[in-house]
Amino acid sequence: MGHQISRRTLFRTASGLAVAGALGSSLSACSGGTGAGSTSSDLTMTWWGSDDRHNAYKKTLKYFQEKNPKIKIRETYSGYEGYFDKFNTNVAGGSAPDLLQMDTALVAQYARKGVLAPLDSYVGKTLDLTGFSRTLLAAGTVDGKLYGVPSGIGVNQLTVNRSGLEQLGLKLPDREWTWADLKKTATDVHKKSGGKIYGVDDGGGSTLQCFEIFAREKGQQFFSDDGKKVGFTADTLQEWWEYWAEMRKANASPPPAITSAAHNDLTKNAVVIGKALFTFDSGVYGAGGSITDAQLDFLPTPQGGFSGAREGNFVNGGVLLSATKASKKVADSVKIMTFFAQDETAIKDMQLLRGIPPTEKARDLIASGLTETDKLNMENADYISQRVGKATDVLDAPQPPPQGADQIWDLLFQANLAIAFGKKSIKAQIGEFFDQAEGILGG
Amino acid sequence: MSVTTAKTDAVMKEPPASATPSDQRERDRMRRRLARRRGGGWWPYLFLAPWFVGLFGLTIYPMLDSLYLSFTNFDLLTPAQWVGLDNYDKMFTDDPVFWDSVHATLLYVLVSVPLKLALALAVAMLLNRDLRGIGLYRAAFYLPSLLGGAVAIAIVWRQVFGGEGLFNDFLAWFGIKGQDWISSPDTAIYTLVLLAVWQFGTPMVIFLAGLKQLPKDVYEAAAIDGAGNITRFFKITLPLLTPIVFFNVVLQIIDAFKTFTPAFVVSNGTGGPLNSTMLYSLYLYKKGFTDLQMGYASALAWVLFLVIAGFTAVNFIASRYWVHYDD
Repeated sequence: MGHQISRRTLFRTASGLAVAGALGSSLSACSGGTGAGSTSSDLTMTWWGSDDRHNAYKKTLKYFQEKNPKIKIRETYSGYEGYFDKFNTNVAGGSAPDLLQMDTALVAQYARKGVLAPLDSYVGKTLDLTGFSRTLLAAGTVDGKLYGVPSGIGVNQLTVNRSGLEQLGLKLPDREWTWADLKKTATDVHKKSGGKIYGVDDGGGSTLQCFEIFAREKGQQFFSDDGKKVGFTADTLQEWWEYWAEMRKANASPPPAITSAAHNDLTKNAVVIGKALFTFDSGVYGAGGSITDAQLDFLPTPQGGFSGAREGNFVNGGVLLSATKASKKVADSVKIMTFFAQDETAIKDMQLLRGIPPTEKARDLIASGLTETDKLNMENADYISQRVGKATDVLDAPQPPPQGADQIWDLLFQANLAIAFGKKSIKAQIGEFFDQAEGILGG
Repeated sequence: MSVTTAKTDAVMKEPPASATPSDQRERDRMRRRLARRRGGGWWPYLFLAPWFVGLFGLTIYPMLDSLYLSFTNFDLLTPAQWVGLDNYDKMFTDDPVFWDSVHATLLYVLVSVPLKLALALAVAMLLNRDLRGIGLYRAAFYLPSLLGGAVAIAIVWRQVFGGEGLFNDFLAWFGIKGQDWISSPDTAIYTLVLLAVWQFGTPMVIFLAGLKQLPKDVYEAAAIDGAGNITRFFKITLPLLTPIVFFNVVLQIIDAFKTFTPAFVVSNGTGGPLNSTMLYSLYLYKKGFTDLQMGYASALAWVLFLVIAGFTAVNFIASRYWVHYDD
């Protein structure tokens, strides 16, 4: 070849280098190590939420730092999407935040992996939980230890566009209603609106917001006690999916494209975009009342119309505040938790932005300053928690979900969507669902 | 070092009396060869050190680490446990989403790469002429590629092809009732293909550079022989351009296999609807960082590595039969 580089060699070399570079980056991006400890002297705190929640948090934390000048807080916040991806990476890289907002659905897996600090030794000393009920604290309790302080009461409910309903000449259904009532009302919405609006969001794939309640009405938990299996039967799931197939057929629920677009995106929710009047909700759409200009109202999830139906609702802990185990500032983090739980200014600033406040005292404090929507939201949550308290046939509140739970929820969502798009039959989907669920939870 | 310099100087100081230009060239070449053999020592490596640190620390070590991790159960938070080939076994026998992602990725690669290259070549041909302000046109066509990788564009894409999006407004002018292109499992992947094709700038620039180098005399000869535009394109332009085509094909295929950002943003991180936009890299990311199965994700990465390497090898072998080098 001599000294001259031929075109062939040039291209080969260039292509080869490009290949090497391109491949190398894809592999090396995927490797992590486990370190420990944060390097900054500030206390780092992260949360997810809406802009309203961000502003309330920032205001409250600013006030906290004025009162506690020794504690400097560095805040990071975002939406929910990607929040835990980032947290995982930070923990693995040894730069976990000291204090974070934790999801009640995920607290068990993080606690069991040793990521979170147990808080029991602070309770009654610097961690003031006066007024928190035992059932509420259960939301942050894993294997008998407290790993997170609940921010408030969370209930599953339906958020209703009441003004939209009134414009169609329909009345808000009674709180003691059944799945059959929901179907009738939702069908009426479609008819009266001249086919422009569907009644209720497709709940066939929404575990946390409604299927879990439905299963509990049948006396079945979503997960088995040991978390190695799902707790409901194939018959229950089949009945559920058939109900929603009928709902879609009757145009009581929107077609799958709308359901799919709203997945993981609050702004595309059918009620938000004006395509439906009812949506299943665990407290995100109501809070702050800012998602739509319409007057919202709230209803409990419908009850089972079948004989032997039980009370399916339960009271959840909103979101949690947790400290990480590797943090050297757990004591300071605990102070902040107490501040959010008990300080009057903090309670007033946060309003309902982290759920209905957990204590009587807090609820009284904010009652006068609430918007109409927030008031209705709180009334409905009160109604549900009282009904749950009185019920004699209600199952225990669910255990914190096991590892892999989020994959099961996603599976349920995707399975319902595949049925709705007509890609699979309900029967085939049920077989697949249980097969895959077993693999995820057992393995 | 100083010894070398002295000797080289000595050679330079004694030119033979009858130095012709060609002798001079011969001697220069000798001198360079000598310098190459004697000089150096550890000096070059010192200058290369920053690159070596990067190569070993940021590429080779993490690669080997991920190879190790691919044989483990590793959740990022607790130490990895050796599980042998379990991850690979599960991938091929017991993971339907893996096959969904393979399907989506192959579809994406096989549709987007040819379309993108065809468009790039077509536009390069159009821009390969002497017009006033041609530089401006070239810049304009390259622009999407500068923007394309950005998250912002993917967000715009989601809006444009959504149910209430601009694309449906456009269709409405012609009385066509659109649908939500992003939320339908049958069309979502094609919105990503379109996004990829739209970013044809980089291969276009490379094609353009290649076109400018093509010898004019061949075209003149062909014109005299009465060859039309189409004949000239297929008999002259394309054959002479094959090394460039090859280069672009290889690069674009690798790039397409690794696509992540658009799929992540357009599907809102879900790969939906129904995993129809679950490109391989997105699935890998979800497994590693959302489901905390970093061992499994590492195994996925190595399978991708081997698949891309395989595709590239086939490309190189096949290139013997269609790529024309004129040396």
